[in-house]
Amino acid sequence: MFNEMYQADSEIRNHYNNINSWLENMSSKVILEKNAEAETHFRNIGITFSTNSETARERIIPFDLIPRIFTYNEWSKLEKGVIQRSKAINAFLLDIYNESEIVKANIIPKELIYKKMSFEPTMVGFKPPRGIYSPIVGIDLVRTDSDSYFVLEDNCRTPSGVSYMLENREIMMRMFPDLFLKNRVTPIDNYPTRLLQTLMSLAPQKCESSEPVVVLLTPGPLNSAYYEHSFLSDQMGIEMVESNDLIVEGKYLYMKTVDGLKRVDVVYRRIDDDFLDPLCFNSQSVIGVPGIMDVYKTGGVNICSAPGAGIADDKAIYIYVPEMIKFYLGEKPILENVETWNCEKSDQLQYVLENISNLVVKEVDGSGGYGMLIGPKSSKTEIDIFKNKLSTNPNGYIAQPLLDLSFTPTLIKNHVEGRRVDLRPFCLIGKEAQLSSGGLTRVAMNEGSFVVNSSQGGGVKDTWVLAE
Amino acid sequence: MLSRTAEYLYWISRYMERAETTARLLDVGYRMSLFPNLSGYNNEWESVLAASGTIDSYKKKYNDIVQKHVEDYLFFDEDNPSSVYNCILNARNNALVVRTSFTPESWLAINKAYQEIINFKQNKYSTSDLPNLTEWAIEQVNLFRGTINSLLRNDGYNFLLLGLFVERADNSARLLDVKYFVLLPKPEYIGSNIDNMQWSILLRSLSSFRAFRWAYDGEITATKIADFLVLNDNCPRSLSFCIQNIVKHLIDLECSPSKVNKLYDTLKDLNTKIQQEKIETIIEYGLHEFVSKFINKISSVDKDIQKEFFN
Repeated sequence: MFNEMYQADSEIRNHYNNINSWLENMSSKVILEKNAEAETHFRNIGITFSTNSETARERIIPFDLIPRIFTYNEWSKLEKGVIQRSKAINAFLLDIYNESEIVKANIIPKELIYKKMSFEPTMVGFKPPRGIYSPIVGIDLVRTDSDSYFVLEDNCRTPSGVSYMLENREIMMRMFPDLFLKNRVTPIDNYPTRLLQTLMSLAPQKCESSEPVVVLLTPGPLNSAYYEHSFLSDQMGIEMVESNDLIVEGKYLYMKTVDGLKRVDVVYRRIDDDFLDPLCFNSQSVIGVPGIMDVYKTGGVNICSAPGAGIADDKAIYIYVPEMIKFYLGEKPILENVETWNCEKSDQLQYVLENISNLVVKEVDGSGGYGMLIGPKSSKTEIDIFKNKLSTNPNGYIAQPLLDLSFTPTLIKNHVEGRRVDLRPFCLIGKEAQLSSGGLTRVAMNEGSFVVNSSQGGGVKDTWVLAE
Repeated sequence: MLSRTAEYLYWISRYMERAETTARLLDVGYRMSLFPNLSGYNNEWESVLAASGTIDSYKKKYNDIVQKHVEDYLFFDEDNPSSVYNCILNARNNALVVRTSFTPESWLAINKAYQEIINFKQNKYSTSDLPNLTEWAIEQVNLFRGTINSLLRNDGYNFLLLGLFVERADNSARLLDVKYFVLLPKPEYIGSNIDNMQWSILLRSLSSFRAFRWAYDGEITATKIADFLVLNDNCPRSLSFCIQNIVKHLIDLECSPSKVNKLYDTLKDLNTKIQQEKIETIIEYGLHEFVSKFINKISSVDKDIQKEFFN
């Protein structure tokens, strides 16, 4: 087990020294007060989960006061690794919708790609501006040792959580300004500006303006990431629109304003493919902008991420990302994949069934910590249920060993305990590729738990990258 | 600006303004309930309900008009669209959608009010808390209005202020009407002591009691109060003041000059007329008739704004 604050001999690692003395000087009373202050702050700014009932109290994600710290050197490696991976995935997406070189080279079997629900046939032959399918990539990483990082999954469609990264920093700076005087923490508040620059650099072919009009398309207030949608639009100074605010006329997309129709060049969409255009995807959908796909394909507007980018989130595709890096970039992968058994293949399925009590089994298109089995932590009944699922639908599952996620100090009530964490940094790819100087650290608040998802009792932490 | 954003901004300030009116009415009711009961007059809580336009819906829910129920109905009831709770909830739900169109402070003001009123609602409160509750509500609305001051003077600001003054014009007019018509059914009551007490209560409900004292010397008379609340351009709640501000913020809109002109044409007459009017003429004509016409006019202005800009 790897503890990010303590070395094996219980010595404090250098870069945690300041935090350790800060913790030692803080009384239980202050800790409880600050916790309450943070909770009130998050409620007041409204960084909450929406619930369907309007009068019910909205939920907030537990926030842990102790920051998680990366040294400059640790981060540099991660930065290179995440950017490398994000570039390779974008090259892969462009390739499979166009020349399919990777299939022709027999690196990825074609059935694996072209039979997926998330493969979007309407995108075949289409090259989005700069060839970027996924300009915002969120990569989930875990650490198991001082130098070992594993990628758990790639999120290319509409990764969320960046508003937590930014708000966690805001609250820490507000509550503990002294900490930031004593530690050289790289700022992250330029992220929204960089996001806007990235989106503007992806203007469509027919956009004549040097300042393309960007909007954020949200499904509306009932979506659980709605806070993030409004937060990001606000920070970027762009309109947050719902599909009813948009209309297609001729070969362009417009938004309805008090001054009549105004042209839109780039849509940062935070809704699923299915709800983009009822003429093209789900004809039963009451939301969506009829005709937007036609405008998109004729270069009148850009949609970010591109429809069909979600195939790269598939856990069966994930297995091949190291191959993609070698194939498209000619480089050695910097970040490792977790060893993964694809239950689609009968020999691998056999292995998984035999060793299931030592493995983690996941749905290939699952998320949120749902629909998974943690073998070593499950009862015989639970395991039997999964064995059954695997035998009836092997294509729907992959299995991985249970990784020993690193621990970080976490305040439980008012004392410090070790809890497991993961990390989601955000990579932007437009005119240039860059990584956020930090990320979202999620922490499994329950003792011994491996599950960091907020829907399963996970919390969040501020994530520091120390300056050089 | 998105049409939907304009619409939501307009409604946010309407709801916040309404929350204040409802809270002030409750405050008036409470103040009256501390005076000895005067037989021959309407129950004050009934007139409070009438003034808030909720008397019919209230009667469907309760058989008797007593403080406990009225308080609950006007402050917390989810079935009453004008309850302080619903106004704040609606303002907050709208603000959630358009929070990018005003300052973080404006959002905070509304969201804090919402978080707090949920707490009040969950915790039992006693009748003696009412003054604190109404004071709290008025404070929240004032806080929100204060934050509006730091907004860019763009169309978003103008739509917020249009909503505020349309709502206020309507609320002031209704209050006037209720006091004049419901409380003074017989002309001979005019000028009597009780009459004056009722009128001073009206001033309080419009947060104008002291302002009136500054503006007019001597006795409180119905004529002076009517002049103050209908025609006085210095009184921020008078009908005249509201109309002038509706016109101002309409003209200030930068979008769609043709729509603005069309709306301005329908408002021009009302505005000019109210500037030239004398209170004696209005009373002679009938304050109730005058106010009723005014309410209809405001309602059609409201409909026009919604039709022209929000569709």
